[in-house]
This record gives sequence, C-alpha cells and structure tokens, in this order.
Amino acid sequence: MARVNNWQLGREMSYWYPESRPQKQFAAVFDTNKCIACQTCTLACKTTWTSGKGQEYMLWNNVESKPYGSYPLAWDLNLLSLLDGQNWGEENGQPVYKGSTIFESAPAGERVLGWRPESEDYAYPNVGEDDCAGGIEHGASIDIPHQMAWFYYLARICNHCTYPGCLASCPRGSIYKRPEDGIVLVDQGRCRGYQECVRGCPYKKVFFNPMTSTSEKCIACYPKIEQGLSPQCFANCIGKIRVAGFINTPDKAEADNPIDYLVHIKKVALPLFPQFGLEPNVYYIPPIHVPTAFTKQMFGPGVDKAVEVYRNAPNDKDLTSLLGLFGSTEAIMRKWKRVGDKAIGMDENGKELVNVPFKEPVHIRPAYDKLYQITRTNCP
Amino acid sequence: MRSITSLILVVLLFTAACKKAQVPTAEVNVAQVKEITLDPNAPVWDAVSLHVSKMILQDLVEPRLMEASTSETQVKAITNGAEIAFRLEWLDDSQSDMPGPKHFIDGCAVQLPAKVDPNVPAPQMGEVGKTVEISFWRADWQAIVEGRADNINAIYPNASIDHYPEDAKSLENNPQARAETSARYAPARALGNRRAGPRDQPVEDLIADGPSTLSPAPNAISKGKGVRTKNGWAVVITRPIPAGFTVSTPSQVAFAIWEGSHVEVGARKMRTGWVPLILK
Repeated sequence: MARVNNWQLGREMSYWYPESRPQKQFAAVFDTNKCIACQTCTLACKTTWTSGKGQEYMLWNNVESKPYGSYPLAWDLNLLSLLDGQNWGEENGQPVYKGSTIFESAPAGERVLGWRPESEDYAYPNVGEDDCAGGIEHGASIDIPHQMAWFYYLARICNHCTYPGCLASCPRGSIYKRPEDGIVLVDQGRCRGYQECVRGCPYKKVFFNPMTSTSEKCIACYPKIEQGLSPQCFANCIGKIRVAGFINTPDKAEADNPIDYLVHIKKVALPLFPQFGLEPNVYYIPPIHVPTAFTKQMFGPGVDKAVEVYRNAPNDKDLTSLLGLFGSTEAIMRKWKRVGDKAIGMDENGKELVNVPFKEPVHIRPAYDKLYQITRTNCP
Repeated sequence: MRSITSLILVVLLFTAACKKAQVPTAEVNVAQVKEITLDPNAPVWDAVSLHVSKMILQDLVEPRLMEASTSETQVKAITNGAEIAFRLEWLDDSQSDMPGPKHFIDGCAVQLPAKVDPNVPAPQMGEVGKTVEISFWRADWQAIVEGRADNINAIYPNASIDHYPEDAKSLENNPQARAETSARYAPARALGNRRAGPRDQPVEDLIADGPSTLSPAPNAISKGKGVRTKNGWAVVITRPIPAGFTVSTPSQVAFAIWEGSHVEVGARKMRTGWVPLILK
C-alpha cells in the first residue's frame, strides 16, 4: 500500500495505489435542505442509462429518507458496524481522523474492508420513506418548531472518489479514474463481473448486472460533462438542490469556483462519511434541523460550522447568491460572482452563462384594481 | 459346482477391486484414443489412468481465498492427435449456477503454457513473456447452453418488467434498431465483452501473463460440457493439442476450481501448481 494525502481526514492514509490526482476533479454539492424526494433525478438517470435487461433493480441515482431509508438495504449501517473507532481529534485547530479507513482496516487477504449485499437488499429502494426518527405525539405536528421527530432526504450518486474503494478492490484493473476529470468508470470491455468492486465500494454505488455478467455504475453522464453540461440528475432536479463543477484541493481553493467556495471557503458543504477514507467528491449541505450526533457521524466534524453558516445565509449575500445559482442552468458553472443583488454563473473563460436575481421582487397587488375597477381577491 | 461358483465370485470381486483401486498417477497421462468426447460419462474415460490433483489455496495475491474448500480434483486426459480432452471431477454439494449479487458460479479451468518448453511460466497465471492459455468452464453458461432462458425471469421467477426500450412498438419491424437500442443499455455487449454473451459455449478461452492480466484469447478454441454427479461436478474441456507436445516432449498443466457457494470468484479459488502432462 502507498501513503497518500486525504485532506478530508486531515492526515495521510494508506491506499492501494500512489496518489495521482486528475487534472480536474468532477465534484458536486447537494443541498439536503432543499430536496423533496420527488425522485425526478432517479428517473432521469434510470431512463437515460439503466433501462436495459439486467438493470432492473439498478439505481445509479437514488434518494433515501434518513434515518431509516437505505438503498441497498443498510448500506451505511453495515459498514459503520464493521469499521472500528471512528473518532475524530484535533491538531493545530484542524480536525484529524484518528480512526481507521476501509483501506487501513482491510482484513488479511483483502484489499479493502467491505461486505456484499444480497439480491434482496436491492428490492426496497423506498424502504423507510418519510419515516420520522421518532413518534409524533398528538398535536406535535402543529407545534412550531416541530419536536425532534426529524427525517431528511439523502440523494446519492457515485461520489467519483479521489481514492475509490471500487478501483482499489478490482484485481484486474478494470476500473479507472479519468485523468481529465476524475470520473470513475468501469471498463465494460475488461470487467469480468467478480463483484469485488460491489464489495469494496462502501457507498454501494457499483451494481452487478447478471445479464451482462459485468458490474456497472454511475458515469457522471461524462458525455455531457465533456460538452460542459451537468449530468441528467442535476439538470432535471425539480428542487434545484444540486450544482456540478470541479473541485481543487484546499491549498489551491479558488473563491470564484462555486464548489471550492462552498466546500473550502465557507465550509458549508461536507463529504459523505469522510471516515471511510475515499475522499468522496459529492458534498452535502447538511440538514439544519437534524440532531448533530447523527449528522456528524454522516458528514464529519464540520457539521456545526456548516449549519451555522447555512443558517446565517440570509445575512450573507455572497452565499445566498451562490445558493441561488443551484439548478439555474444546465451548463457547468466553472466560476461565479455576485454583482449587487444578482448572482452570475460563468464558464471557465469568464463568459456569462446565467444571471439570477437572488432577491425575488415583491409585488403588492391592491385589493381594488382601479384600472379595471374591479375587486380582486386572493382566492383561487 | 459350488467351488466353480465360488471361483467366479472371487474373480468378479477381484476384478471389481482392481477397478476400484485404480492407482492415481503423479502426472496427467494423456491416453491416445480414436475419438475424443465431450461427454463426462462416456465409457472411454473408464480405461484412462487417473491423476488426483491436490488443490491449494490461491493465497499469493489479493483478494486471496483464506479458507480452503475443494481439496482435490480427479483428472483424466485423452487425445485423438488433434484435440486434447481433460475430464475433471470434484466434490461440491451445492450447485451454484445462478448469477446475481453475492451469487457466484461453480467453475473450473485448465491452464497450459502457451509454448511447450521445459522452462515453464509461473504456475499462477503465467508471467510476463511467458503466456499461459486457460480454458474456463462455467456452470451458468452450461445451464444456458442446455436451454435455461438467459433472462432475468430465469434468475428471479417473480420479476415483473414494465418495459424494455428495445421492445418499443416503434422498433417492432426494425431488427437493426432493436439491436442498437439493446446494445445501448448493455455496453459490455456493445464492446464485445464475451462475458456478456451470447452464451453458446460453456467454456471461455483466455490468456494471461501473470496475475491481473487475464484477457480473452484471440480465438475461441475450447469446448466443454459439465454434468452434475451425485455430489459434485464432472466436466470435460477439449481444445487443440498444444503444438510440440509429443511422446518425447512432455508439457505441464494446472487446474483451478471455483465453488460458487463458498464465494469463490476470480482470484478467490482453489488451484494446483504445474502437473507434468505426458503423452502416452
């Protein structure tokens, strides 16, 4: 195993291959506070990529309710129960992961710590949907703020990790990370369907296709990425919870890069289960109403700060404007800026792609319309 | 009369005992026959010498097999001068021939050096510059060749499928468009990955130059047939006899067994080292 730097852990770690970062790294930010679990993303992906024979149960994109939802079943709980000592410490004021990653705790004879889902584990993609963490006492639903009977939606795609578990697991080198954009792909010409990647991906985002006898996964819609467009699940998101782009390492963070700004500068978007050690590249703005004991396990020690920053967004014009750019264009915004009360998304050359006012204009309609001499009501 | 009967009985028992007590040879002796067969139950095998290969764990490269399963394989070999046939028989109580998540397939493989040479490649998948040729038999392909439907309902009988894009009414009379649509959702097949089918042979031809280098062989030269025995598998794999393999120029052969129910797949397997292969 090689020693590599994983900035999400605040330390070096062991990995099967030496560190080799791509020229650009595809990344995304999902705002969990805006997701309504309409599953339009799921269907957009399903229709585009996985409508074939052997892909019936395969959801490269899924949305699950937390805490009780999971697809495949218990993908997170099973690994969390295998992984010992997931404690975080602090060095020089920065969080440092003191536990073991899936690479560092690989059992003898294995490349990574992992487990294999059964067929049945894929059969209930909506298990736990809208189930609250606790019971709703009589009348609690009309109390504001709600009592802590929380749940939230977690939309998931492949994280196109910097240190993919699937890639490390494949004994044939059939999985590769594209140097031009960091997208992780299974070479369908070379894969022999050993399912080692299915076992080794802690997010369980590689799927075995029994009809082709190969494993398949999210390809980040790379044909669209190559044209400067967002993947299907981003472009079709009704709630505009997603923004796609490219991320730099923290030492090279650029304030005009939307992903860098959210992840590195404002630290409002956090990786999913950073303790697994894969340096996943889909980042989540954590739900602000969920007990942080839960979200810290899921998104790491940055949750308190992220929630604080997000709650303060109404007083932070820059952040508000960038959040307003989510889902505003299918094109990938490589840069952004705020001008007055407008957010502007740009391509890599600084050419404007989209221009969004982040304060909705308020129109007050008088009850009596003098022009038409008619009384209007607000009733439909 | 009584003594004659006793004598006949003794002779019969002696014959049976002799047959039962076929002494395994340390090498795989290839018997020369008129016709080779794909049938593991053909009588021709009865007269062929037996080699019992002790299996060892693949524990050299990760992922390793950490717990032993199949302990030995009974091997016989015949040739008609052009083709060589290997018959492998091993114990495996569970028949694993349905693919799926966490479902692995029973299988076996015969490995030969690409060149008959006293300086043999490393026994585990060969080495750089010393290629090995592998004929790999799979139980699921055997089932499909024998008529099991190659579709999702064969694996999940209660599966209900709304629609596949290739079955769209607009493509009904356009086979080319149907094939293109089907390939769009089966990239492995579109790329010619033999694992993706069509499965018209239960055996796949492969070459390797060391662990992790297993690749499809340029040509499909092997055939095979596997049948369930009372408590395991008997499989015959045939292929062209290696060039240069003669009575005076022996070669080597190695075997591997995968027990699907024991989560054996790829590198997780029981294997042998090289065994001398001698033409009789």
